[in-house]
Amino acid sequence: MTVSQDPFAGAPDEALLIAFANGDGQAARFLTARLLPRVLAQATRMMGNATEAEDVAQDAMMRLWKVAADWRQNEAQVSTWLYRVTANLCTDRLRKRRGAVSLDQVAEPLDDSPSVRAQMQTRARMMALSDALAQLPERQAQAVSLRHLEGLSNPDIAQIMDISVRSVESLTARGKRALADLMAGRKAELGYDDDQPE
Amino acid sequence: MTMTNPNDDMLDDLFAQAREADVKPSDALMARILSDADDVQGAMQPEQTVATSGLWARILDALGGWPAVSGLAAATVAGVWIGVAPPSSVQDLTASLVGDEVSVDLFSTGLAFDTGVSVDG
Repeated sequence: MTVSQDPFAGAPDEALLIAFANGDGQAARFLTARLLPRVLAQATRMMGNATEAEDVAQDAMMRLWKVAADWRQNEAQVSTWLYRVTANLCTDRLRKRRGAVSLDQVAEPLDDSPSVRAQMQTRARMMALSDALAQLPERQAQAVSLRHLEGLSNPDIAQIMDISVRSVESLTARGKRALADLMAGRKAELGYDDDQPE
Repeated sequence: MTMTNPNDDMLDDLFAQAREADVKPSDALMARILSDADDVQGAMQPEQTVATSGLWARILDALGGWPAVSGLAAATVAGVWIGVAPPSSVQDLTASLVGDEVSVDLFSTGLAFDTGVSVDG
């Protein structure tokens, strides 16, 4: 898709959202080009697979379009709001995944070359991380993913999750510890057991 | 504060790998999302038109807009004029439809006299 010269260059996301609500025919395209890569990346890291991540990203953007007409200016930044919505949508889906974890998600590679094996291992690791996130209480999973997968600061996370910075610290510490315990049993399977990957 | 958990190295490595993942939205996903946006936008009430949709605007719409109203205004003026100073063709038509007496009965001779209208039909 070719993106022609951006008529909204320099305008905040919120301005594009309001333009969309007022019927502007181009606002959605430019707003999607701005926001979707980050939404999709966040969903991919949490879900561990592309198909589910795409569904989450589409769902998050759909919620943005629907809220546009009632958007309250200056109450929240569009990016902050999207981080929250995406995190919530991911934990909703991860909750449903509990109890049906990793039975057949990692298929044997047809091509046994080192690069394909490495790709398969990365995919297996990302899925294992996502499955472990699914086992955490939702707020812990959200805080850990925003901190360690998105690399956000604790004050930013506090704003996104609408809690205090102290609560963020507590959630991320407990979440990370629980995650490490959950992953401990899968070290060998994921190639972390010794110097030589499986 | 970090705990010295032996599994932290693995976890930190996993986090780093996840952050490095290069994710680009496909054209198909963009198309799905823009289609959603079109649907939502199509169902919205455009706000800019709210200011013009007051009572007067609705009456205008009901009458068929400004062209119809200007035609109506012209007809009204013509009607008043015909009522005050009916051309002989209208008088003849009225007489043929309802009879000569009616025009005399409807207007007092004083009023007819004041307006200079002949009512002797």
